Amino acid sequence: MEKGYLCLVLHGHLPYIRHPEHENFLEEDWFYEAMTETYIPLALLFERLANDRVDFRLTLTLSPTLLSMFADPLLQNRYLKHIDKLIELAKKEVHRTRGQDDFHPLAKMYLHDFKQSRSTFLRYGKNLSHCFKDMQDRGYLEIITCAATHGFLPLMDVCRESVRAQVKVAVEHYKGVFGRGPRGIWLPECGFMPGHDEILKENGIRFFFSDAHGILNGTPRPKYGTFAPVYCQSGVACFGRDLESSKQVWSSVEGYPGDGDYRDFYRDVGFDLDFDYIKPYIHPDGIRIHTGMKYYRITGETNDKKPYVPHLAREKAAAHAGNFLFNRHRQVEHLYDFLEKKPIIVSPYDAELYGHWWFEGPLWLEFLMRKIHFDQDMIRMITPVEYLDENIRNQVVTPSMSSWGYKGYCEVWLQGANDWVYRHLHKASGRMTELVKTHAGRQTFGLPERALNQALRELLLAQSSDWAFIMGTGTHTPYAIKRTKEHLSRFNRIYEDVKANRIDESWLSHVEGVDNIFPNIDYRCHQ
Amino acid sequence: MPQKKKDAPKHRKVKSLLVPKKATVKPKMIQKKKAAAIRSKKVVVNAKSRRIMRKPAKPGAVEVVAEKKSVFVPTSEPQPVYQTAHHVHHDSDGTQLPHEYREDKMILQVRDPWWLYVYWEVKQHTLNDVRNRFNSHFQGARFVLRIYDVSFIHFNGKNAHRFFDIDIPVESRAWYIDVGEAGRSWCVDLGFRLPDGTFITIIRSNVVTTPIDGPSWITDEQWMIPEDKFAQLYGMGFGLGFGGSSPSGKMLIEQLKKGGLKMPNVSSPTSLSSPFRGFGKDHKQKNFLFFVDAELVVYGATESDAKVTVCGEPIALNGDGTFSLRFALPNGKQIIPLEARPADNSDYRSITPIVIRETH
Repeated sequence: MEKGYLCLVLHGHLPYIRHPEHENFLEEDWFYEAMTETYIPLALLFERLANDRVDFRLTLTLSPTLLSMFADPLLQNRYLKHIDKLIELAKKEVHRTRGQDDFHPLAKMYLHDFKQSRSTFLRYGKNLSHCFKDMQDRGYLEIITCAATHGFLPLMDVCRESVRAQVKVAVEHYKGVFGRGPRGIWLPECGFMPGHDEILKENGIRFFFSDAHGILNGTPRPKYGTFAPVYCQSGVACFGRDLESSKQVWSSVEGYPGDGDYRDFYRDVGFDLDFDYIKPYIHPDGIRIHTGMKYYRITGETNDKKPYVPHLAREKAAAHAGNFLFNRHRQVEHLYDFLEKKPIIVSPYDAELYGHWWFEGPLWLEFLMRKIHFDQDMIRMITPVEYLDENIRNQVVTPSMSSWGYKGYCEVWLQGANDWVYRHLHKASGRMTELVKTHAGRQTFGLPERALNQALRELLLAQSSDWAFIMGTGTHTPYAIKRTKEHLSRFNRIYEDVKANRIDESWLSHVEGVDNIFPNIDYRCHQ
Repeated sequence: MPQKKKDAPKHRKVKSLLVPKKATVKPKMIQKKKAAAIRSKKVVVNAKSRRIMRKPAKPGAVEVVAEKKSVFVPTSEPQPVYQTAHHVHHDSDGTQLPHEYREDKMILQVRDPWWLYVYWEVKQHTLNDVRNRFNSHFQGARFVLRIYDVSFIHFNGKNAHRFFDIDIPVESRAWYIDVGEAGRSWCVDLGFRLPDGTFITIIRSNVVTTPIDGPSWITDEQWMIPEDKFAQLYGMGFGLGFGGSSPSGKMLIEQLKKGGLKMPNVSSPTSLSSPFRGFGKDHKQKNFLFFVDAELVVYGATESDAKVTVCGEPIALNGDGTFSLRFALPNGKQIIPLEARPADNSDYRSITPIVIRETH
């Protein structure tokens, strides 16, 4: 009989980046990298576990933009080209490292992995969501949605119509992919504003997540802290992040990913190898980039990195999984006595931590889930809905406004580098509401309907919190600014054109082709 | 949907006016974007404003001017910090956003428990109107943001609990405001303050409410947890460890009350981890245990169909019109305004117990 539950959550998201107008676009690489290093390895991991009848549970966010990119033919074909190039590079590397005992096995490992990525990708019809849907249908995964374009909802609160649109469009899109509505949502950046739960309820969503202080500073005091969910006044459940388990993985000082045996992220052949040799595999303008082939391990606090040794890393991952489980046992045992109730430990992470930032992440996850299934019975893996169905009575608490961003509130997205966007975003939201009020009552079809739908697409794309985030971190800032301005400008033009009744069809078609997300969008969501 | 709503305890929601002092939260930084090593750029200087807040002696009395040290005035559009060579396809195609939308508008947003952000736009026409109306009295007028504490009230322009002013340059269009205290509601006016103290509102913002910056003072009777147990739970929730005898959570809450504590954070691979592992290790208390705390119960009665609010929030009455509320009672002053109206709104009563606790 278990004494507690573990709810692992992986948050999978990428901003919508798709540039048909350019052969090679730097920021599109983020998608290809994530595919090769995170999402395909996760798919393979789930397959292995399912084959071995490991009864695992994982809650997985697949954001609407990420799902859209999974399904986009242009990006699918570009990914195929991308992985083919990597295979070609790996083959060359196998040759080049032939005499080197330290590196040759690694080159072969990458060649094998890239080939496997390619075949897995094709096996799922070039669309990975087929794998995840299958795992959900079989009961292993709970796939939850996220806001349509990952807009940061607390800073949209002055125009709730936009909050509603972000949620509604996501829910409708999810239905199209998975055949039913989502039961839960990952609020972008866990950004919660009291009252938004009403909007979730309107859309049939039963639960969301908040950072620890969202619940701990909730009103009234939560009797079980973050170790049980609470109901908002609307009845939607809120699960709070457990910082104890998060720390073990996230922390750079004490977290697992920093271990010396694990693969070093920065020593990539894209930077290390001779320019002429590597040129075909980096950016065409000659900019060195990460290829994903890395030969060194972290080693320690030193620049003298030693070669990566896979079996050492593997053993470490197994030990760390054991350590994580051991700590969860201690935690659960203590809480079980303290609370006189089975605690639920909610451990959410960015999906890209697993595989991309932390190469051995998926391996660690696999060891962990196998150990939980085969080696113990104190802790049970669970999804939020399973928990709610078994634990019906929960306290009613209004969580505090909060986020899991740096400093716990809105500062990441509201600071000198990015605060200028909000007057424009809010203005656009107001205009969208105005358009909906004017047109939604009557029947629109043909060109006006297309224009109104495209207006909402542009607004949603402008609202991606990724742009403000990027502006805040200071890398790729010009790209983020460009996206913001472009989408707002397109929106404003459509707004003017619709009001003046002079929609330019050829321009509109062009824009529809470029910003083609959410084909079935209905502008009436924005009210 | 769960039927739990029926089973859910009768929730008496109550707000206390006293909130813990300011604390800065320092949690995790999410790493999302790749390419080369990411260095986080500190762009904003958020200097705290030293400001004296005093309740005006009577409505319309002169209030105290805020002193501000260094202040960051955000410009309306960013200047790109650098142009990277490969972003050639990002050549400006002349895309510019409007500098203004030709309207009078002011929007207030919450950044965190202690900081607000306000942006505005005022038509030149509107400004000129105001100037012309006051003509010669306008000499020496200061352009000012007036920030009102409008917690738990319907603000009519005159009934704020208190307010303070920030002098700003005429060309500003946005401002970060340090309100210093968490868990309050705020409204901002942009206006002119004439030398004789008269304040002229040009535009008024929306109202926002900041979150509290520590645990709530309100407990739900049916989900009771003793204070010290909650303190431990609070600490565990922040990953301060779960040793059986660790009072680290209690110390965390105490520190929060004093203000200035950096809350424990959970970090991503590139930032620091929690500095608080050391908490609790010195506390080898043993021997004679003696612990005292106090709580407050406020109870009353009215007609069973009356409407009662506590601190502005409606509460549920028992079937016979009685009610009973429980509050944590920390040291200090608790002001608990209660109001009641009959079902037909034909009357109004207000009683405000004030409780002061000290511990010697």
